[in-house]
Amino acid sequence: MIEFREVSKVYPDSDAPAVRELSFTIPDGEICVLVGPSGCGKTTTMRMVNRLIEPSSGEILIDGEPNTAMSGTELRRSIGYAIQQIGLFPHRTIAENIATVPALLNWSRDRIRSRVDELLELVGLEPDRYRDRYPAELSGGQQQRVGVARAMAADPPIMLMDEPFGAVDPITRERLQDEFLNIQQNIRKTVVFVTHDIDEAIKLGDRIAILEQGGTLARYDTPENILSEPGSEFVASFIGGDRVLKRLSLTRVGEVELEPPNGEKDLPRIDERMTLRDALSELLGRGAGKGVVTGDGGVRGAISIDAIREMFRTGETPRD
Amino acid sequence: MTEAAPQFISWSWIAENFSDTIVPAIIGHVYLSAVSVAIAVLISLPAGILAAKRRGLYAPITAFTGLLFTIPSLALFTILVTVPGIGIGPNAVIIALVAYSLLVLIRNVVAGLDSVPAETIDAAKGMGLTSRQILFRVELPLALPVIVAGVRIATVTVIGIATIGAYVGGGGLGTLIFDGINRNFSTMVITGAVLATALAVAADLLLLGVERYLRPWARRKQEEAA
Ligand SMILES: Nc1ncnc2c1ncn2[C@@H]1O[C@H](COP(=O)(O)OP(=O)(O)OP(=O)(O)O)[C@@H](O)[C@H]1O
Ligand SMILES: [Mg+2]
Repeated sequence: MIEFREVSKVYPDSDAPAVRELSFTIPDGEICVLVGPSGCGKTTTMRMVNRLIEPSSGEILIDGEPNTAMSGTELRRSIGYAIQQIGLFPHRTIAENIATVPALLNWSRDRIRSRVDELLELVGLEPDRYRDRYPAELSGGQQQRVGVARAMAADPPIMLMDEPFGAVDPITRERLQDEFLNIQQNIRKTVVFVTHDIDEAIKLGDRIAILEQGGTLARYDTPENILSEPGSEFVASFIGGDRVLKRLSLTRVGEVELEPPNGEKDLPRIDERMTLRDALSELLGRGAGKGVVTGDGGVRGAISIDAIREMFRTGETPRD
Repeated sequence: MTEAAPQFISWSWIAENFSDTIVPAIIGHVYLSAVSVAIAVLISLPAGILAAKRRGLYAPITAFTGLLFTIPSLALFTILVTVPGIGIGPNAVIIALVAYSLLVLIRNVVAGLDSVPAETIDAAKGMGLTSRQILFRVELPLALPVIVAGVRIATVTVIGIATIGAYVGGGGLGTLIFDGINRNFSTMVITGAVLATALAVAADLLLLGVERYLRPWARRKQEEAA
């Protein structure tokens, strides 16, 4: 658990605070996404957790202990750190890069070697092929994967990630996001994730902290709640005019109550892993009012545009 | 010795004096140059690191070493010889050669450290490396090729200037050149000059190899591109 208590940061030679009296709590095992316009203090907020930046006032508690209880370097070795520019060591091989923190923690060579291979597998890079390469010999997307693997190397309970998928094309980014969510399902880290992309925030966040210019917290809630009730003009405009569609993208077809399939032929097929948003798009595109939902076990039921509309008209969240 | 030989180059003189005169001159020259560059590196590394970390020191340090660099070499050798405790001989030459090397070496140490990407240092710090670990494990290894490039320039410069050191009794290939001038014997002058040049080229190639060796990550990329 990470708890911000009235944390402010005023940089030297600056009169306005970059972060202003931030108070919020991130529960264990959740991804908290810090999102907001450029310069609103996301990076500053994240970097105060591992004390790359010291707050001007307030404190940050990790599992109830102030993060000043141990030395900065000790603290940072216990927290994963991945950044957009990746910052791989160009003179070290991929394996050596990933092994950075384990080596600092004096793990045995065998343990490090098997951990490196395990992580390379986890992020989808064949160990035999990539372990002994240098970073310059990898594509941007592969380097991002290594950056994330390196952050997870010593299995830290907390990970800080500053736009870790920012420097790749949209398709690769989407894949990295999906893989990361998959990994997170098993490892359940407490993640502070910075992005300026609201769609990424909605997709990845268990909770979203929306920061406003000047470093104040405009909203801290689940994506679902923020999308159904933005609560303020700023939040509404930041999440955009298509918030209903964004809400649809939070839910997969397989998660809602389906109608019984009544044998109608010629209906479009909808995979149950599709989001409601994609399902709606598919139905509209085919000019159909209804589709047959299929899963691994064959036909699962049917879903209609009317049913989707109904879910949102009543204001209830389809997931509940 | 065959004084005042009429021909431009007397091969027989070279053959006769090879082991007694020429080889010792080469060894003396290598000694002067190597010791000077080594001492200069030992001074420049900490000075350059200091200047890179405390930016305020960079201007005064380069101003001072720049001033040293502009003193005419013959004048500097002659002045140093008059300093009590130094006197005539190789020590005066070594001190002067060290002084000439500092500027380029310190500049390259600073340039090398500056060339380390900021995000690499940030990532290192974010993972919990101490400042000392960042310096020795990240910054210096990445700066090393640029530092060695500075050593190359310094070495080539020093090998050239060292020939003048013979004027104040420093020994080395300059001895052949000065003796040759005094005796109006071109073979000695040419032998000294050619060997000094050859030495400079050899040192340059050797250090170029070292420079390449120190960046395997870039080398492999170049090989792939080739
Ligand atoms: N080292 C620093 N010194 C002085 N001011 C800084 C420093 N770092 C950031 N700032 C200022 O603090 C504010 C918040 O910066 P921060 O980097 O936290 O923003 P951000 O939300 O991460 O922005 P972006 O989305 O562009 O990365 C900005 O106004 C920035 O100019
Ligand atoms: Mg930022």
